[in-house]
Amino acid sequence: MQAAPASALGTLADPPARMVDGAAMDYLLIEAVNALRVSSAVASARAKKIERDMVEAGLVPPPPTARQQNPRDSTSSTSGKISGPADEDEGVRSRLEAIGMHIGGNFVERLCRDRPLFSDSLDVIKFVCKDLWVSCWDKQVDNLRTNHRGVYVLQDNAFKPITRISSWEGRQEALKRAKLYVALPAGIIRGALSRIGFQGTVVPEITTLPQCTFQIKLPKNT
Amino acid sequence: MATTSKQYKAIGEDLWKSRTDKINSELFSLTYGALVVQLIQDYEDYAEVNKQLEKMGYNIGTRLIEDFLARSSLGRCSDFREVGEVAAKVGFKSFLNITPTVTHSGAPPPSARPTSTVQQSGVPGSSFILTLDENPLAEFVELPDEALEGGLWFSNVLCGVLRGALEMVQMQVQVEFLSDVLRGDESTEIRVTLLKYLEEEVPVGDD
Repeated sequence: MQAAPASALGTLADPPARMVDGAAMDYLLIEAVNALRVSSAVASARAKKIERDMVEAGLVPPPPTARQQNPRDSTSSTSGKISGPADEDEGVRSRLEAIGMHIGGNFVERLCRDRPLFSDSLDVIKFVCKDLWVSCWDKQVDNLRTNHRGVYVLQDNAFKPITRISSWEGRQEALKRAKLYVALPAGIIRGALSRIGFQGTVVPEITTLPQCTFQIKLPKNT
Repeated sequence: MATTSKQYKAIGEDLWKSRTDKINSELFSLTYGALVVQLIQDYEDYAEVNKQLEKMGYNIGTRLIEDFLARSSLGRCSDFREVGEVAAKVGFKSFLNITPTVTHSGAPPPSARPTSTVQQSGVPGSSFILTLDENPLAEFVELPDEALEGGLWFSNVLCGVLRGALEMVQMQVQVEFLSDVLRGDESTEIRVTLLKYLEEEVPVGDD
């Protein structure tokens, strides 16, 4: 191959990104959610057992009874069982967000390698709306709004991770699932911001599929 | 129709090129890595994590095979040897953009005749070994001593995927890791052993 030395070196220094099939990622994420549901149940069962053991050993006072905690949860029969599907989902959701944060933080390090320093928080948000979104989800954010006081709302009218969600149980069910799945992208954004140096919160919101908005709150002193 | 190894490689390349939806493999690696870490934290037992990864892979495999058959429109493999070739050169290539090398072993079945009857001749016991020179799942990964001692097979999901996919095409296989560079071995090897065909006979006039 007769390549000029400069470009050969260039390719060595900056190799083209390796790709994998998008479908592989989709399948992985679908099954990951199921796997996490099981594993979070195992983890919380173990934590509860430890708590019970400690209570029995007299090391901690017994927790308040279930009665006060979920008055509308009429389906729970056993007294110790406060959790229902909502609790289980919370476990999955927080795990998805944690995974997202890991992805976002590490990925953004690679993305920012050749970039100059960010000038201010708006610059960072614009980076998220353009570069991060394109690298992860093949398009840019459709709409960015801000109150210039640290709150930014990013709107994507066809958010890639949820464009193909559908449920045989109907629209409502699909929406519910989407709200869970979107925790991972929210984590990616949050992790990216955190690695850049902005500890903020990211709250995703979906009212109609496939449109999704993310509300980012950055701390005041930036 | 004896498709040569080179032809399968070309088919794999074409399939990969025609895929429109590709993502950066780093995203994939980071996702999988974070997932494994989370599972380890939840189960606190490496053998159990191996099992869960395999199970996850099995579920993925059962879906993946349909996607694969739809895209590739390849016909039925005439023998287990061909299964290995297709899996390595077309399967892995079109989903992960890697081409593991295949090493076959076990008595080769009588030569495949180009008819529609399935030879139930792939001798149970025949196997192939896939050697992965690169593994997108294991980019940026280093295993701590604890995981090494605990016997973690980091990419165990691949075993499940192969098992699930092949089961959907009527083969019961046993898939296991033989070695893994993450563990300090020379290479990453997966052995797939045919246990039995799930459908004993395809009635001749019946397709």
